[in-house]
Amino acid sequence: MIRVAFDIGGTFTDFVLHDDGDDGGGDQTHVLKIPSTPHDPGVAVMSGLERLLGQAGIGGGAIDSVLHATTVATNAVLERKGAATGLITTQGFRDVLIIGRQKRYETYDLYIDKPEPLVPRRHIAEVVERMDHDGGVVTPLDLASVDQAIDTLRAGGAETIAVALLHSYANPAHEQAIQARIRERAPELPVSLSSDVSPKFREYERTNTAVANAYVKPIVERYMVQLEAALKEQGYRHELFVMQSSGGLVTPAIAKAYPIRIIESGPAAGVLMGGIVGTAMGRDHVITFDMGGTTAKLGAVDGGTPAIMPTFEIGHVRYKKGSGLPVNIPAVELLEIGAGGGSIARADMGMIAVGPESAGADPGPVCYGQGGALPTITDANLVLGYINPDTFNGGAMTLDQDAAAQAIKKYIGEPLDLSVGDAAWGIHLVATMNMENALRVVSVERGRDPRRYAMVAFGGAGPMHAARLARAVGIPTVIVPLGAGVGSAVGLLQAAPRIDVSITRVMLLDGDAGAAIAEIYAELEARARLELDQLGGGQAPQWRRQGYMRYAGQGFEVQVDLPGGPIGDDFGAQAIAAFNEAYLQKHKFLDPEARIEAVDWSLAAILRNDRGHGSANLAFSRNAPDTTGGPPEIRDAWFPEAGGYVPTRIVERRALSQGMTISGPAIVEEPDSTIVILPGDTARISDVGHLIIEISPEAAP
Amino acid sequence: MSAPPIDPITLTVIWNTLMSIAEELGTTLRNTAFSEGVREGDDFATALFDRTGRLIAQGNFSPGHLGSMPACARHVIEYFPLETLRPGDSILLNDSFMCSGHFPDTFQVMPIFVDDALVGFVACSAHQVDMGGAAPGSQKVHGVTEAFQEGLRILPVRFVRDGEIDEDILRLILGNVRMPDKVRGDLLAQHTANLSAGSRLQQLFREHGGEVLERAYDIILDRSEQAMRTALAAVPAGTYSFEDYLDDYGPDTEPIKMAVDITFDGEGAVELDFSRSSDVVPAAINSYINYTRAYAVFAIKVFCDARQPQTEGAIRPITITAREGSFFNPAFPAPSGGRAVLQVRIFDTINGAMAKALPHRAMGAFSHWSNPNFGGTDDRTGQPFVMYDLAFAGYGGRDGRDGVEALSPVMNCTNIPVEVHETHSPIRIKRLEFIPDTGGAGQWRGGCGLRKDFELLNSTAVLSHLGDRHVFQPYGLCGGEPGALGETVLNPDGNAEPLHSKGMYDLKRGDVVSFRLSGAGGYGPVAERDPGAIMADLADGYITEEGARNDYHREP
Repeated sequence: MIRVAFDIGGTFTDFVLHDDGDDGGGDQTHVLKIPSTPHDPGVAVMSGLERLLGQAGIGGGAIDSVLHATTVATNAVLERKGAATGLITTQGFRDVLIIGRQKRYETYDLYIDKPEPLVPRRHIAEVVERMDHDGGVVTPLDLASVDQAIDTLRAGGAETIAVALLHSYANPAHEQAIQARIRERAPELPVSLSSDVSPKFREYERTNTAVANAYVKPIVERYMVQLEAALKEQGYRHELFVMQSSGGLVTPAIAKAYPIRIIESGPAAGVLMGGIVGTAMGRDHVITFDMGGTTAKLGAVDGGTPAIMPTFEIGHVRYKKGSGLPVNIPAVELLEIGAGGGSIARADMGMIAVGPESAGADPGPVCYGQGGALPTITDANLVLGYINPDTFNGGAMTLDQDAAAQAIKKYIGEPLDLSVGDAAWGIHLVATMNMENALRVVSVERGRDPRRYAMVAFGGAGPMHAARLARAVGIPTVIVPLGAGVGSAVGLLQAAPRIDVSITRVMLLDGDAGAAIAEIYAELEARARLELDQLGGGQAPQWRRQGYMRYAGQGFEVQVDLPGGPIGDDFGAQAIAAFNEAYLQKHKFLDPEARIEAVDWSLAAILRNDRGHGSANLAFSRNAPDTTGGPPEIRDAWFPEAGGYVPTRIVERRALSQGMTISGPAIVEEPDSTIVILPGDTARISDVGHLIIEISPEAAP
Repeated sequence: MSAPPIDPITLTVIWNTLMSIAEELGTTLRNTAFSEGVREGDDFATALFDRTGRLIAQGNFSPGHLGSMPACARHVIEYFPLETLRPGDSILLNDSFMCSGHFPDTFQVMPIFVDDALVGFVACSAHQVDMGGAAPGSQKVHGVTEAFQEGLRILPVRFVRDGEIDEDILRLILGNVRMPDKVRGDLLAQHTANLSAGSRLQQLFREHGGEVLERAYDIILDRSEQAMRTALAAVPAGTYSFEDYLDDYGPDTEPIKMAVDITFDGEGAVELDFSRSSDVVPAAINSYINYTRAYAVFAIKVFCDARQPQTEGAIRPITITAREGSFFNPAFPAPSGGRAVLQVRIFDTINGAMAKALPHRAMGAFSHWSNPNFGGTDDRTGQPFVMYDLAFAGYGGRDGRDGVEALSPVMNCTNIPVEVHETHSPIRIKRLEFIPDTGGAGQWRGGCGLRKDFELLNSTAVLSHLGDRHVFQPYGLCGGEPGALGETVLNPDGNAEPLHSKGMYDLKRGDVVSFRLSGAGGYGPVAERDPGAIMADLADGYITEEGARNDYHREP
């Protein structure tokens, strides 16, 4: 079985080809990283595939499965380059989308703007109708007003339509009638119904979800069609799978109908990879840490399952609630920080500050020699001796260490009266502190005890900061997987097809709730089955149920895992017990007097990954270590524990073999990533080649 | 004498850690709180103090508690001199004068010890759902004439001793409030949040030692003071004055004059004097000096140095005064429960004065918000219901930009979704939409007013309204026009009876109350507006054809 995965990121497109050797030819993995082509992502995909197939010496016809993560939908929203979208809504509520939830994401800044809505007011039309919260019709739908709305929007240039009526989660009839009317009157316009895309209450979030779906639909459709055609041209015969934000795969047909679900596709794959690696190493609780050129991302895997949140914000700023556009789609829990290799450092009030401004990839850090003048995290890491100037990014570019040192001296060292080394160390430390604050949110604030977690670090810069970060919060183990530089693509290989459905049904939870809950899940299962049929295979899925519940009167719900199996009379009591457990875990107390209110219900159907029936570790298997390298290299690198610059052992990762151990300080280099091992810590190589750093217990806070 | 130097890297680490502790204290509190104000409105504050009570760091939460924290710590130390404090103590208080100006805000101040030596304090406040008194929520305005009618007043008490909450004090409190379970939960949440912050502070002291921390504190206070002085010195020296009027404090009452004289000395100090304002009024809307100070400091930060970390040093160059016995500096027992309605207006008043000093930073006045409560007995369940709503509309225009539409003004809250209201309360919302032609015209248009109509589905209910700008328009700046007045109308499709912005009314089934928020003020002369922007507003319906003609003198 030969499988290919590719992850299109903002800067690079990563590829992995894995042959499990079931034809007797031996197990093989090929990886490739090439620059993305943002104007037309397919260009990089095609040229990369060609090279990859060349490396493996096979044709497209030999591939059994293609798995894919893309930022095409995200970028369309972030850059506001989606299709012209019209919105149809209930009379009197034209401004729900523009009003939003109204809170400033920075209390002390009265000059900030709200995230710009995807539809301007002129493209929002009202229809005469009204439902109540039980789904009862208060005002019947007036079709004349529907026709008028369709005509107005079409005349205004709409290329795609979203329909979001009040309380449509309780009764979708009016939205469905409008869809039927649009199909008759304007059949060329794709339609996204809020009751279909996201049948949950809270009108702003539901409307925005439907609108975002409509907004990216034409672009994702075009992109998928082109990609499928191009793959066919290469001789590929099987189905393409696309990664969703939830970490599950779907077919292009479902991705085209619900493109909003693939919005966080690449980062989701990264968290999945972290979970697979952790599980394979016997670590069920994992924090994933992915740091690249512009941002760092933190995710979590609890008990072997990637943490999923029921909503997600596109264009989140400094992980502040309300700074982005909220969409109701299940997405892996990810916290994104504006701290990447390109983040700019400056002296401020006699201290060092880093980010959020970034030099990005262009002009990039000073050491790239592409015109960047302000010192960045990468410049600091170079001056500290962590990065090898000659082999950066597989030797694709030589870094200018002197220029980096000069910039650090000028902008940090001189204003603060610090040596260049001290200044560079200060930048590294502050960057790590910024990520530490975010890591505290993901761990302690969300009820995760760092001492029980392992960190899986990847991305070009992740393994350079990982050990320092783990020390700061008390995570005892860091795992740097093989293929750390193409982590998300590796994660794709491990994903399984998955469908998520959810609905709002507000009820007070008591012991008699079983029958009502059974009814809700019958409805959800029917909806999930419609899509499961499209995924094919006919195999029985694994079902997962979750409820979103709170004490009546609270404003935030807790995510509660509900039992599987038949729903009997005692299910209400079981749900209450499950709520108590989840609430206690998160908030550390229970209020036995309070009534419990359930709000949303969700169901996930997960299929076995039958195209990738190999075990989790196969993707990482590789050829025997290359021991032909020269004698170990020594380079000066900065470790404050050792008093500054000290001669440090530099090891090539490909020269490491199973069971070897390395004591810090040491640096392990691979073509697309660098691993820093701190004094006192010890690293060893696992049987499949992952590098495991045990943080010295004395270093724990 | 200034402190000996400390290396910039250590200083960076210490300062960042202090701010991180203050932030984490707040997020812990928010996640476990029951009170709507805490979890939706960030209506709480957090602070770290040194061992003498100097404010070292604060999380970025409610501006309303901002200037209250230093005073609160001082009062605690007056009642509990430093040598009487023991590890495991925590002090509770809510006095309007000592804290943030009304009883629902409870403050807990916890001394922190390392090896039996006092090293500092951690503190947090939280807006409780109720503190007893005349009406649910303890914020009734009209008809409340002294603080004793507003609920339970707590002077500083040792709420926690040897790490154990004093159950006697707790019982005393819970016996006087309407929702004792929630109040208890939130008092506990405050204590737990303080505990976790305290242990991080202890860890910081153990890592760096008390001597380094003390030196770092001095530097932090000096640097933040210096940064604030530099920012203030950049404002042209002079006295800038402004006055505006609150509509009134209930039906058949007089307007309240809100006046400020702001003097920048050109060398880094500023004084804000509110003395020319009205006298204290016999309604629960007076602004105790801590509250006045809190919003005055907030406004100065917005104008001069918004991103600067909040410390005692940053507040030093800012002096707030108000005549004793005036509306902005009343003496106990002046009633003050509903003072939250003032926050937008205190900012507006200072903004009006600052516009004369820094016109490019100022904006037209905000659209005023609306905070009505519907209460009664739900016919369906026989249980009492209270439906509390928050409606916010536009910002004023400013140099280079139209006012933002529909954003929370000075206070920072989320709204409550229509579908959530209708699920929980016997009401139906008929409309939620911008009102065209209400944003003040100008080169930069003010944001629109907002209309929100509620229909009562219950047999009866009582409406208690809290709004403003039904009499005095939100002003425009630099030649911009004022925003349109707000109004509240009962049964707009029937006899359309106007309602008072702070009145109480009996409603019956089928009654529709239409809340229409004022528009925000414009900025700059209408003649300077880009014709393209006028056409865009017309296309989007923010102005009508009639508005284009009348307000912008253009034929559409």
